[in-house]
Amino acid sequence: MAGLEDEGIGPTHLTQEEVRRVCEFLYRRTGMVFADSRRYYIDRRVAERIAVTQSGSFRSYFAILRSDANHEIEHLVNAFTVNETYFNREEHQLRCMTSDLLGNIVRVKDRTEAIRIWSIPCSTGEEPYSIAMWLMEHWSEVDSYNIEIVASDIDTRALQVGAEGIYSERALMRLSKDVIGRYFEALPGSRYQIHPGLIDSVQFTHANLIDSLDMARYRSFDIIFCRNVLIYFDDSSRRIAAENLYDCLRPGGYICLGHSESMSRISSLFRVCSFSEAIIYQRPEADHGAK
Amino acid sequence: MPFVKHNVHSPATEEGHREEALASPIAALCSLDAETRWSAARALGGRAKAVPALADALSKEQVPHVQEAIITALMRIGDEASVMVLLPYLRSQDASQRSAVIEALQALPGAVLPFMVSLLGDPDSDVRILATELTRSLPDDDSTRLLCELLQREQHSNVCAAAVDVLAEVGTREALPTLRSCAERFAGTPFLPFAVSVAIARISGTES
Amino acid sequence: MVQSDTISTRSRLRILVVDDSPLVRLYYRNILERAGFEVEQAINGIEAIEKVQTQAFDLVVVDVNMPKMDGFSFLRALRRSAPTVATLPALVITTESSEYDLDDARVAGANFYLIKPVSEVNLLRHAAILTGRQYERVA
Repeated sequence: MAGLEDEGIGPTHLTQEEVRRVCEFLYRRTGMVFADSRRYYIDRRVAERIAVTQSGSFRSYFAILRSDANHEIEHLVNAFTVNETYFNREEHQLRCMTSDLLGNIVRVKDRTEAIRIWSIPCSTGEEPYSIAMWLMEHWSEVDSYNIEIVASDIDTRALQVGAEGIYSERALMRLSKDVIGRYFEALPGSRYQIHPGLIDSVQFTHANLIDSLDMARYRSFDIIFCRNVLIYFDDSSRRIAAENLYDCLRPGGYICLGHSESMSRISSLFRVCSFSEAIIYQRPEADHGAK
Repeated sequence: MPFVKHNVHSPATEEGHREEALASPIAALCSLDAETRWSAARALGGRAKAVPALADALSKEQVPHVQEAIITALMRIGDEASVMVLLPYLRSQDASQRSAVIEALQALPGAVLPFMVSLLGDPDSDVRILATELTRSLPDDDSTRLLCELLQREQHSNVCAAAVDVLAEVGTREALPTLRSCAERFAGTPFLPFAVSVAIARISGTES
Repeated sequence: MVQSDTISTRSRLRILVVDDSPLVRLYYRNILERAGFEVEQAINGIEAIEKVQTQAFDLVVVDVNMPKMDGFSFLRALRRSAPTVATLPALVITTESSEYDLDDARVAGANFYLIKPVSEVNLLRHAAILTGRQYERVA
């Protein structure tokens, strides 16, 4: 854009080598791949970030990116991704839960033991409520077990929104009219509120993934959804959070990451489980001695 | 609805060994039970006085995830003493142990800095290779300088390759002459001339 | 589903290159793509396991020294996978000064090993041989 250049804010075009440097760095750090066909798009997003950070040059910006000052990696990646939260955001993981994970879980469980599922970070609650509705709609054994859904976040305002359960029409865009009718009440102003019975079914708590003492209050989960947060932690925090999550899982319990995240960038503690719908990670079962 | 809520504290299936580990973690580092040792190592993260006990535990530990927890505990302490416990493992015969230690050290650039010159000059070429990884987290002028110093005297092509790899990401224009002479020294060998040409392109393509 | 034929019937053979160095991966990619292979990459054993379980390959070229999961750990995990994946031919790349010798590589599940730096000729020769046959367990 000629405008930026005129104001002397920074380079508006990256060289091909600069784009490659950014792509190689992002691939190493996050696992994300950008095809050559998206070159122009990368160029634009990085140029915008150079302007926003007032770096003045690619070299200065790249130093900021590599050191992840002010969470620049997250800012850059967010510039490439659509960040809306909405219900049933990653349906393939929900399908994997009902078609594969739960079967394995109940095989080793007593009927009296609850199935414990944790959404952390839960943000404004779309994810834990999606899990609850999906189980009601799609799991044939949903009435045979007690299911506990815990939803946690470090952001207390987000937790309040979740506990209130009121959402915009846009957040419901993936839900069928039937499902909306069953679990939501329409409010004035194109808003919808989750039915009190369902709101009451989810336990919202404040928790910090990196705080081991905090996380020690949570144990024996069968499934943890921990999406789109670990990949943005620094090296040290990623290790600590991974160990905390390991401890929060039952042996054999599963952890689901974000769509473009992989344990290859996070931790070697978990086993890779490839199901037809998704790759899910597992805390090894007890007595799993093989290296 | 089938959903239940109760206290976030887990049910009474909580393992007793975790309590034992938390009560006296240093003693629990020697437990015969791996999960107790795991909990003990986790409880000691950040406790500088635990470094000798953690060092001892690491030297004996065979179970991979417990090794990881001990290494994390040392990383969280992050002082010179804990770095000195970790450094010898760069020479380990076990590839996974070497890589676990390198990752912990990568998170401690300040504590590792005093050792960089000696690591980059280590008699063992595998240690020199791992050391080049540690320069990645330094400011680009410092890593460029250290890696150029290495390249100027290095005979081992795989060590040069590792240095060139890091320079391709972090190198400044100061590195260009050293890179060119490295390619000349290793002309006719399979990989290095290619690697140097890519590094030069990456660096030159960046306006300074 | 990956077919378990001895000779792949796909028109372009697919090779997974696993090394934590982007320059090494680029080097192998250029050589292999020029020779007509389709190339996919991974930076360590964990990413490699994810890829072999979700995509079909005819060969994996894997470095020994990688963070999070080294090459030998990857091979052991590969050989424990579902049968159609477990038979994937594997070319291990090691460094001369490491203690690993041919026997160690074979025990872990490699079909062949090469020592870095790998020449274009060597890489292509072994890729051709290994994409023509499957892994056989060494007694």
